[in-house]
Amino acid sequence: MASVEESTKAPEAGESGHRGGPVRWLPLIAIGLVSSLLGIALGVLIDWFPVQASAQADDIDTLWDVLVVASVPMFVLVQTVVLYSVYKWRMRPGEEGLDGPPIHGNTRLEIIWTALPAILLVSLVSYAYVVLTDIEEAQAGSMKVRVVGEQFLWTYYYPSPEGGGKEVAADQLYLPVGKQVEFEIQSKDVIHDFWVPAFRMKVDAVRGITTRYRADPDRVGDYPVVCAELCGLGHATMRSTVHVMDPAEFDRWFATQVQEAKESQ
Amino acid sequence: MASAAAVEHHHGPPPANRSSRVEPQLLGMLLFIISEIMVFGAFFTAYFFIRVVNGAEWPAQGTELPKLIAGVNTAILLSSSVTVHWALESAKKGNRFGLQAGITTTLLLGATFLFIQVNEYVHIGFAPQDHAQGSIFYGLTGLHGAHVFIGLTLLAFTTLRAFRGHFTPEEHRGVEVPGIYWHFVDVMWVIVYTTIYII
Amino acid sequence: MTHSSVMRVPGLVRGAWATLLGIAVSAALTVAIRAAYGYDPLFDGEAITIVSLVTAPLFFLVGIGAFSEWFYWAGGKPTRPEDHSSHGAHSWKDYFKVNTDHKVIGIQYVVTSFFFMLVGGLLAMMVRAELAAPGSQFVDSNAYNGLFSVHASLMIFLFIIPVFAGLANYVLPLMIGAPDMAFPRLNALSFWMLPVAGTMMTLSFFAPGGSFATGWTAYAPLSTEVPLGQMFFTVGVQFAGASSIATALNFLVTIITMRAPGMSFWRMPLLVWANFSTSLLVVIATPFIAASQFFVLLDYGLGFNFFVPEDSGDVLMYQHVFWFYSHPAVYIMMLPGFGIVSEILAVKARKPVFGYRMMAFSLLAIVLLGFTVWAHHMFVSGMQSWIRVPMMVTTAIIAVPTGIKIFSWLATLWRGVLNVDTPMLWALGFLTMFTLGGISGVMLAMIPLTIHVSDTYFIVAHIHYVLFGGSLFTIFAGVYYWFPKMTGRMFDQTLGKVHFWLTFVAFNATFAPMHLIGVQGMPRRVADYPEQFATWNLVISLASFVLGLSTLIFVYNMVASWRGGPRAGSNPWRALTLEWQVSSPPPIFNFDAVPTVVGGPYEYGVPGAVHGVFKPAGHPAEAEPAPQEGRARQPAGAVAAGSTDREQ
Ligand code: HEA
Ligand code: HEA
Ligand code: CUA
Ligand SMILES: [Cu+2]
Repeated sequence: MASVEESTKAPEAGESGHRGGPVRWLPLIAIGLVSSLLGIALGVLIDWFPVQASAQADDIDTLWDVLVVASVPMFVLVQTVVLYSVYKWRMRPGEEGLDGPPIHGNTRLEIIWTALPAILLVSLVSYAYVVLTDIEEAQAGSMKVRVVGEQFLWTYYYPSPEGGGKEVAADQLYLPVGKQVEFEIQSKDVIHDFWVPAFRMKVDAVRGITTRYRADPDRVGDYPVVCAELCGLGHATMRSTVHVMDPAEFDRWFATQVQEAKESQ
Repeated sequence: MASAAAVEHHHGPPPANRSSRVEPQLLGMLLFIISEIMVFGAFFTAYFFIRVVNGAEWPAQGTELPKLIAGVNTAILLSSSVTVHWALESAKKGNRFGLQAGITTTLLLGATFLFIQVNEYVHIGFAPQDHAQGSIFYGLTGLHGAHVFIGLTLLAFTTLRAFRGHFTPEEHRGVEVPGIYWHFVDVMWVIVYTTIYII
Repeated sequence: MTHSSVMRVPGLVRGAWATLLGIAVSAALTVAIRAAYGYDPLFDGEAITIVSLVTAPLFFLVGIGAFSEWFYWAGGKPTRPEDHSSHGAHSWKDYFKVNTDHKVIGIQYVVTSFFFMLVGGLLAMMVRAELAAPGSQFVDSNAYNGLFSVHASLMIFLFIIPVFAGLANYVLPLMIGAPDMAFPRLNALSFWMLPVAGTMMTLSFFAPGGSFATGWTAYAPLSTEVPLGQMFFTVGVQFAGASSIATALNFLVTIITMRAPGMSFWRMPLLVWANFSTSLLVVIATPFIAASQFFVLLDYGLGFNFFVPEDSGDVLMYQHVFWFYSHPAVYIMMLPGFGIVSEILAVKARKPVFGYRMMAFSLLAIVLLGFTVWAHHMFVSGMQSWIRVPMMVTTAIIAVPTGIKIFSWLATLWRGVLNVDTPMLWALGFLTMFTLGGISGVMLAMIPLTIHVSDTYFIVAHIHYVLFGGSLFTIFAGVYYWFPKMTGRMFDQTLGKVHFWLTFVAFNATFAPMHLIGVQGMPRRVADYPEQFATWNLVISLASFVLGLSTLIFVYNMVASWRGGPRAGSNPWRALTLEWQVSSPPPIFNFDAVPTVVGGPYEYGVPGAVHGVFKPAGHPAEAEPAPQEGRARQPAGAVAAGSTDREQ
């Protein structure tokens, strides 16, 4: 058994503390700032999201930008310290027996790096909470669509103008632009997930319960509907389309649907 | 580690330092019981979801739970906690008769409990396949029954050893550790009984 | 024992026969029960398979002799003193037997889990091959779902979790000055349940209808309505889980009751702290996944109604129970790595770990908080919406203790003498990559964003940044770091560095673009995807093949160095912790006499500091007086304000 003594060649204290000279804070901070700015620019400028087709999308994309602005500096901070330490205090030939200065801690520093992230996180969470209430806010005059998932297709049910709980079914989703929709989502078998990437909204379709979300379509166009919960064999192909259209056009479409439904009875 | 070690093969390890006053076996059993409690916790979570979150009728419509018989059964199981304690105390005092009598009675009481429970299953009038209430009823009581069975197995070994003359006032861990497990099984039953039958 | 027939000698051969016997017994039992109930096809292959899955492994474990001693005890025979015949390995064959030596078990664990890592990795290669282009390449979507399900299950339950248990098995008793684990036979049993679970999951590919294909999360009611392969997961997880619980219990008892004299909790190396915290998580959380799979088993096999809403069952209950384990499980897969990194950074930067006590406290804080965040996996599950916001808050808060750890490691590096060799490279790589994965985790905590990116490749990116860039980087670091201790030989540093750089680059090329395609709208768990994502997926697939190849460098380095590397001294890294003060590999019973601990574990740079004092075997305790320096500042060193050698 090796004795412990031989393994810790006592370093010349004092000497080790000044290896590599003093830390040059100014260039270090400058590098950190520049890379943070570059990172943020990259994070904000990259075309991350699919087209925005709802009011919700706008809110969520902004949240993303805020998160990028908050987290890039954190990441850069860690990188810079790691790279700088390796650059400056790497063990050089002849230093194999040297030890670093025995610094055990620093209460002030530790308080700072507990408090600052905590404050940052609390602000992010508060902002996220605001966004959450925003995207879930009910608007006056919203319409209802019942969405039903089953292995492996979606069906959409619109309340019939006849009332009395009657419904008109469609196998693609048609919506008028500028009007809030409240989706009521159900499943006939396993769990599916009703996701419209262009709206940025999704929720699981769960057998036995009704889940819901709201979306405010604000851009005319056709967008994919995607099942985002593994539901078996056909999960990858369980897709359909949402057509967001002019209110007038929507009304025409809806009238024909109602008509067809009547005829088929 | 092969050759160098082979030389030392015949003497054993240095005695480990005892860095805590707690007995390792006892501590191990306590930790095991914690994880057992969590197993029951998960089953109670299922119960909670079915009965409270989902608001299912309890017991399911048209069924009835035999509170009285189960109550008697509770008393049987609780008294076995007393007898196992008696066995341990006797072992500590070196009273062999008390040890053997205590442990045998415990074994019998536990077996009676299981018998009554199986009998209850046969006559209760619903199956786990009928509805979720049935599933969780059988799930929880069955889980507990399985624990009674494990406890009985442990106690059977203890009994065997008690009759072969093991256990002394100094060395009675073989009674103590299964005994603790048995107490746990009993306490857990009181909780199961209260939530399933009474509330 | 004159008669030495195969059935009398415990071992793999008897284990194999016992397995067959187990299957036969299960078949008989099943047929008997079906006859008793008057079910129609008396011989039901599916029922027999399910019963066999449960019983055959138990027969196997009896067969290899994992229970022999307990049977002996239970049979009422007098407890015989330990003969230590099952201790230590004298030839490679001993690694294939039930062995009670924690060092042998540690190596069994590490090698077995790396084997399953290669299998899991190979499956990932197949996943990437299928995804290299849109449309179907060589598997149908059911097979594809099976590929990633088994990939993830092996990686999680048979690689990350057990490999940490294996490393700790080897070094933890040495580190705290214990001759072995508290329950060596339980330790052996824990190990032998692993190959059982792993084989079961791998064999599921041969089940009728294909392997289990519901992801590693196995959400009900999908998992209760699929072909038989699912049961290989449902039951396999039980064995892996039982193994985890038994090991965790063993660690806890060992740490609490077997520390060397003088090794107070505040003198324990942080690896020991990390495994202490992890074990708490395991003991408390793992029963939940066991229960969740019991429910699935009962619904699937016996027609129970836990997840049948038409009969008052509750579908979301599965997810609550599952995540109550599986969120803590991600910390089970990370905290031991935190421990490894603390050891390596201190030694390789030649400095004490900065803020030692806060490091330990933040581990405990993560344990506590870890139990309060499970529903962040359920933000879009349709659960009661009020649960979401509290979970968002607690989830974000977890970044605070984790941040404390990251910043303390950075401060440990600061002004050190950094020896940037292979273990250190991996540790530094961990610092950077885990930070990235953690930050994407914090983004995921923000509900509105998660509503969009949940179940997309953004999650896949997060998973791999924390599990590969986090856990696996620390595992590589730890394996390289303790390799000389375990084998007595030195690995090839150059190959190690090549391994690191190749992996580092390929890893980022593979997983970084997943953030982008995820946000752009590519869902996870799909065998096919729209044209729009084709380019990136091709890039990812190509990079992932390089990543796979880079692993082979590691395998080669380990095997070649183990067989013919240069001899490593007992303490090649000049480390202070106890495992380095004994020979490499350590003697069969670790120590001639248990050492006495006189100072903190990381007093690098303190002149003459000593962690443990070894007294010559058989001599009285007092012997050498501890060097004053080391004694003076170790216990409260971490927080003592105004210590003289503090940076000004
Ligand atoms: C090792 C495993 C591991 C680890 C450590 C983590 C750590 C974290 N994870 Fe991760 N997670 C997984 C493995 C892991 N995760 C897996 C496997 C899944 C997917 C499961 C599935 O569905 O299949 C998942 C999914 C997952 C989700 C669900 C996404 C979804 O499905 O919709 C969420 C949501 O909140 C999340 C959050 C977090 C957070 C906040 C952390 C935090 O603990 C991270 C904390 C760390 C840091 C933040 C970095 C260091 C800190 C600093 C430098 C301080 C300053 C930082 C800031 C102020 C930002 N994770
Ligand atoms: C520790 C955990 C871990 C690790 C290390 C990995 C490693 C890898 N993972 Fe994995 N992965 C997960 C955990 C992990 N993964 C989890 C939890 C999921 C979620 C699953 C779910 O949705 O349920 C997932 C899902 C997942 C997906 C998403 C599938 C989907 O949603 O459709 C993809 C896709 O690219 C992927 C790829 C990879 C790749 C390329 C690697 C590479 O790093 C692998 C590198 C390759 C090797 C290390 C092996 C190299 C060896 C050889 C080539 C030779 C083999 C020889 C023999 C067997 C003898 N993983
Ligand atoms: Cu429906 Cu996936
Ligand atoms: Cu989580």
